[in-house]
Amino acid sequence: MKTLLKTAILSSALVLGAGFSEPAAAQDDSIYIPNLSYRTGPFAATGTPLMNGQRDYITLLNERDGGLNGVKLVYDECETGYNTEKGVECYEKTKANAVVTQPWSTGITLQVLPKSNVDEIPILAPGYGFSPMADGKVFQWAFNPPSSYWDGASMILRNISDGNLDNLKDKKIALLHLDHPYGKEPIPLLEALAAKHGFTLLPIPVGLTEMQNQSAQWLQIRRERPDFVLMWGWGAMNAGALTEAVKTKYPMDQFVGIWWSGHDGDLKLVGEDGKGYRSVSWSVPNSESPLMQDIKKYVVDTGKSLINQGEGEFDWVFYQRGLMISAILVEGINAAQEQFDVKSPNPEQLRWGLENLNLDEARIQALGAEGMLVPFNTSCADHTGHGGGWMLQWDGAKFVKASELLTPDRAAIEPLEDKEAQEYASANAPWPINEECKM
Amino acid sequence: MEFLDNILVKPFADMAAAPDFLLQVLWEGLVGGVLYALIALGFVLIYKSSRIFNFAQGIMVVFAALTLVGLHEKGLPAFIALPLTLVVMLVLAITIERVVLRPLVNQPDIILFMATIGITLFLIGFGELIFGGENKVMITKELMIPTDSFVFEPFGGFVSIEQKDLTAVIGAMLLVAGLLVFLNKSKIGRAIRALGDDHQAALSVGISLSTIWVIVWFIAGVIALATGIVWGARAGVSFALEVIAFKALPVLMLGGLESVMGAIIGGLAIGILEKVFEIYWGQPLLGGNTEAWFAYMLALLVLLFRPQGLFGEKIIERV
Repeated sequence: MKTLLKTAILSSALVLGAGFSEPAAAQDDSIYIPNLSYRTGPFAATGTPLMNGQRDYITLLNERDGGLNGVKLVYDECETGYNTEKGVECYEKTKANAVVTQPWSTGITLQVLPKSNVDEIPILAPGYGFSPMADGKVFQWAFNPPSSYWDGASMILRNISDGNLDNLKDKKIALLHLDHPYGKEPIPLLEALAAKHGFTLLPIPVGLTEMQNQSAQWLQIRRERPDFVLMWGWGAMNAGALTEAVKTKYPMDQFVGIWWSGHDGDLKLVGEDGKGYRSVSWSVPNSESPLMQDIKKYVVDTGKSLINQGEGEFDWVFYQRGLMISAILVEGINAAQEQFDVKSPNPEQLRWGLENLNLDEARIQALGAEGMLVPFNTSCADHTGHGGGWMLQWDGAKFVKASELLTPDRAAIEPLEDKEAQEYASANAPWPINEECKM
Repeated sequence: MEFLDNILVKPFADMAAAPDFLLQVLWEGLVGGVLYALIALGFVLIYKSSRIFNFAQGIMVVFAALTLVGLHEKGLPAFIALPLTLVVMLVLAITIERVVLRPLVNQPDIILFMATIGITLFLIGFGELIFGGENKVMITKELMIPTDSFVFEPFGGFVSIEQKDLTAVIGAMLLVAGLLVFLNKSKIGRAIRALGDDHQAALSVGISLSTIWVIVWFIAGVIALATGIVWGARAGVSFALEVIAFKALPVLMLGGLESVMGAIIGGLAIGILEKVFEIYWGQPLLGGNTEAWFAYMLALLVLLFRPQGLFGEKIIERV
């Protein structure tokens, strides 16, 4: 009881302390990295391991290397609860000293996107956000490496059609998606590809209050009998969909999710029944890699990590993806430091760094993360890199790699990306275009 | 003409063409309705006895379910974790009465409502600190809740009934029946109703406000635990369970805030009607996800004609 009381007092003190504290100030000997995180609310179960991964990578660099090239990295979280309004508040609260914005929600990304031109702080949204952000000339300050949602949709379709989308002619494909900007993101591309290749697209939205009771959506799936169900789910929606799929006895090998719908914690709810479910992913867990061993030695074993070891979080796809997300950011900072010969690059210099990422296989290996991240590189014109990804498959207890490297059909995506980027710029005119980029 | 056909003819033709599917839709609606009714009951009980709209009912569902699973994770068998969780909910009820409600006696309703928002925020933070934010698996098998399904083949088709859903429906019915007997036949039940009718009169005949509040909050905690087990068995236990409390709001609007029967009938009506509307009208005509607003529209329609809800008390105040 005493321990409980102490915990309660400590938690109250922490909450009060967090409420009154100001964001950490940027200093010459440190780089301030805010993260608009969510460890509370309906999406906490999926957000927490990702945030733990991001946090632990920064902790590793500070503990093992004394920071990055002698500069301490100050990682700071602002809790949004995956709520767009709170996300914008967090952005405003942290932007004064921030070198980067990590919005962590497509809704928040869309709100912050116009502000990035004014505040001139790069937005880093790895594997999420608005797919046309790939167009670096239009979205000068926004980055979504190594693959966009449209890349993900294209890779899934290529995989389920054995590489030829014409094989999907006359098939019916359901898109079970969160009724949120994130969930709706692949629809324009899927509609275009459905029209071109002759398959029927059936979008099935899931509202926030229906995430855990998707019987209506799965009754529709039972009635419509789609050949494949694609899932753009998040938070409790993933677990809700998987349990309903098991209940409906929908064939798991015809059920494929985007990378945010491939969370070990969700699949553990269905265990063996979820065997065969696949999720496309640009990261793969590799707990034996040198990087993971260093994480264990310097962060986990020293008690500096927040991961739940009892649940096996160390081995999870999402935890290790969180590590890779911070690795991408740190590579950008590193590139900026070298290019401008500064210890603490400013946001504009970091933008250059993120436009010149070169995470090829050799570099990934040098980071000790062999096979954990898809190789990619960015440029001033390409803010995504379009590295592709692999198919991960649930074997009843964990996700395993189940395909060779998949790549998106850029020829099909690029025209739509250009069109949507131009439409966005026109709708938000005057919208600055990066004329200096000649690529 | 086609528009009218889609609204007035086609849905009923679809129902007649696949009656097994209609039975499945009705069953799923019934299960959903029972679950909505359970959440609404927690609100009604507290409102009846104290005129407090308990905003914390949703987070109590999460807290109760997480406590049960958390205790089991610590190595306690389910038959010990379950009664221990009930003890935790009793301690919570006593704490809320002592720390939050007692100092606010005679304060305006809105102050008490705000206090329940405070309880919600505290339980979110405290729960996260103790149990973490990860999704946890409900200990369905350990609680001896069957997980197979019955499959029937009426009209040449099939209807699948999950045994855990059936258990939830039977369990909820028993809980509600027990609650009705307790409220109507026991001395404490009558005291709760007396407090709900008239605080001053109840106090003047010696009913202890603080004791009754503890009992009512404890019963709301028991209902929260039952709700948490049932919902948790469907899609895991996480803080997302809190969101389902919003589904109880239209049930309360429809059934009336003071009526146990209103919560039950309102829950069942909304559960079944929203499912039927979604499947036969919402998905084909409106792109789906009508469950997000259908219940509110239904409740609004009822409020136009009966502002106190279907079973609420009509309050006439003399001025």
